[in-house]
Amino acid sequence: MTVRAVGYFRPGDSWLHHRHPVTKVLALGWLLLAAFLMPPLWLPALVGLLAIVSWTSGLLGQLVGSLRIPALLFASILIVNAFFFPGAREILIPLGPVGLSLEGVVFGLISAGRILVVFMASIVFLYTTLADDLLEALIAKGASHRLAFVILSAVQLVPRLQVRAGAILDAQQARGLRVTGSLMTRARAVIPLVGPIVLGSLIDVRERTFALEARAFGARHERTAYRVVADPPRDRWLRIGLLLATAALLALALGGFLR
Amino acid sequence: MTLTIDELRVRYPGRREPALSGISLEVEPGKIAAVVGRTGAGKSTLCLAACGFVPRVVRAAVSGRVDLAGMEVTTAPLAQLAGRVGIVFSSPALQLSSSKPTVREELAFGLENLGVAREEMDGRIERALDRLGISHLAEREPLALSGGEQQRVAIASILVMGTGVLVLDEPTAQLDPQGTSDVAAVLRELAADGRSVLVAEHAPEVLAEAANCLVLDAGRQVALDRPAFALRSTILRPIGLEPPTLVTLAEAADIPANGTFDEKEIARGLGVLRGRRPVEEESPVEKTKELAFLREAAPLGIEIRDLRHSYAGAVEALRGVSLRIEPGEVVAIVGQNGSGKTTLAKHLNGLLRPDSGMVAVGGNDISGRLVSDIARDVGFVFQNPDDQLFNSRVELEVGFGPRNLRLEPKLIERLVEGALGMVGLTGEGSTNPYDLGFSLRKLVALASVVAMEPPVLVLDEPTTGQDGPGTRRVGGIVDAWGTTGRTVIAISHDMEFVARHFRRVIVMRAGEMVLDAPPERVFAYENSALLASTGLVAPPAARIAARLGLTTMPADASSLLSLLAASRAAGGSSPEADRH
Repeated sequence: MTVRAVGYFRPGDSWLHHRHPVTKVLALGWLLLAAFLMPPLWLPALVGLLAIVSWTSGLLGQLVGSLRIPALLFASILIVNAFFFPGAREILIPLGPVGLSLEGVVFGLISAGRILVVFMASIVFLYTTLADDLLEALIAKGASHRLAFVILSAVQLVPRLQVRAGAILDAQQARGLRVTGSLMTRARAVIPLVGPIVLGSLIDVRERTFALEARAFGARHERTAYRVVADPPRDRWLRIGLLLATAALLALALGGFLR
Repeated sequence: MTLTIDELRVRYPGRREPALSGISLEVEPGKIAAVVGRTGAGKSTLCLAACGFVPRVVRAAVSGRVDLAGMEVTTAPLAQLAGRVGIVFSSPALQLSSSKPTVREELAFGLENLGVAREEMDGRIERALDRLGISHLAEREPLALSGGEQQRVAIASILVMGTGVLVLDEPTAQLDPQGTSDVAAVLRELAADGRSVLVAEHAPEVLAEAANCLVLDAGRQVALDRPAFALRSTILRPIGLEPPTLVTLAEAADIPANGTFDEKEIARGLGVLRGRRPVEEESPVEKTKELAFLREAAPLGIEIRDLRHSYAGAVEALRGVSLRIEPGEVVAIVGQNGSGKTTLAKHLNGLLRPDSGMVAVGGNDISGRLVSDIARDVGFVFQNPDDQLFNSRVELEVGFGPRNLRLEPKLIERLVEGALGMVGLTGEGSTNPYDLGFSLRKLVALASVVAMEPPVLVLDEPTTGQDGPGTRRVGGIVDAWGTTGRTVIAISHDMEFVARHFRRVIVMRAGEMVLDAPPERVFAYENSALLASTGLVAPPAARIAARLGLTTMPADASSLLSLLAASRAAGGSSPEADRH
């Protein structure tokens, strides 16, 4: 049985896979800003744009599949806002002290839409960017390699924890721990799972330190790079374009033109 | 480069007893020096000090010298040590950077950190891959390789940095028998290249390659000699270790020192011995008779029908396994890393569910039951204890399962006490599990499952990380569990352990069962090719018996010697040492 802990990267040969990691970081940054700064009516356009991007890079299916993780979050944002929007005036369906309000539905849709854009953009970025390429690209652009490594470790942390959490969940269920059922049962199940994750991560850190020391990590300041990250000329233009777009977005937002 | 350790003393902060007290050892170029001892004897500390990890990474008070070509290792900065002395650990998965998509880039990682020029890298990587015989793995993903392959990648990743002194801390602990012989062969070749090798190890395949062997007990030197002398029973027994089977047999047959690990020599010597002299020696196997605390339970059997399972996006891990295990059977599952053993075992308590096929426990299909409910019937002890230990006290940890079963407090108390007694941890009830070493944590995990009194006990690699006495203790528990009429199913790479304690052995290869028979048949000479095809080798005593043409398969040295003694009573026959 193999356990993959290299992150969310999905190997591929699409146009998006071939973009320079820094280009993708800029695009990701623009999308995150746009989700919150642009008028809410643009949100469907951003979602559509991300759908087209992932479709043309052959990742639409996997992206849609991954949406079931935040689906519950979207639902709860919608419901909470729709029924409990403070100071709502236009009550569509009154339900005692609360009621389904128009403002609530609109606000809920906007919030959920923003989070949806953030989630989709991040997933598409992680799917198409190898953490190592990002690391080398950042170092090549002048970041310290220790800092870059911290970023890399953070990117890898979640999948590593997922693998570990799975193993721990198995081990505790095998000793009769119920992890499904009432809310109370689930709450009681948490402590036996958190303990080994924290302790195990500490042991993991110690062993990771050994592994890195053994490979001379941090021995010298002048580090060389084996991996050459492709940087096609059109990426340079793309980056300039993205920087301009980001500047324009900020300028318009600060100027109050996006209200 | 020669590594000279002189009067080395190491004491960890907060410990009264030193981890090493006055150890001296010279590791010469072209030679392998082995370190042997019980768990906690100071083997790892010696390895860590030899490459400068103690005290630079692991804080400790150090006195004495560790000299590497005129450089004092205990005070040298990483920049000076890197590329000269390197260390390999027992868990290959943890020492790889785990971010690199290919083996080639994994090897480049160390070179990048040393600041080696890009043009130079490919050549050095090619040479290291070639040296370890893994050029064909260059473009593979490190984390998707088998344990033996990963360990060779790990050694290559240290070697590529130009290391002249190689230190290895139990490099074969997690490998199947084939992986272990591969590592032994690699170490022999590296020494032949002129490198100095220091290895803490208990696998006889590796010890056989050593020029000298340091035996440690509680941080002190017990012996420093050629393996044939240092590993003798007169030296090892007093410190609680058993000599490797081949050494015991060579001693019995009076083989001269240079033939100690030569199976042909030993067989010839024993053949002459046959019928001459009865051997009465009985190795001290700890029998646990302390299972009286378990309540009576109806024995349960297991039935598996045409079981198939695939992991997402991977090859089929189980390709149609059908199997019946009767109540009270004691069954071992063997096969190389990745052959489907753990996947099969995890179906027995519902941790994995079949893609198709059926698993029944006690005659009832388990597909509708929760894992936490099946846990009443099938106890599962994981390979890594740290995935389950979370309580601050050992007794709470062991009582966790029984509490989940909602047993009465009085009964829980009795079960906890009994289970701790069984694993030899009586009196450690209020200790924090993480203050115990890995091998003891593993016994706590075992006790925590036994305390649930499951009619079926599943053990995943119960002997990894255990020294000789620890392995015998686990073996004693398996024996005792069987005598209570309960079922035991264990996965193991330790063929001698399997031959000693199990009455039925299932051999897995690439997701299929290829053999299901008593150990006498599985380890018989006729099956050696089949075993080799899944990375296995019969235990040493069985191999020698095959050379002698014996028809009964002995599990260990003492049973081989008694077989030979008995063969006189049966009239005996001429030695057949040259059969193969």
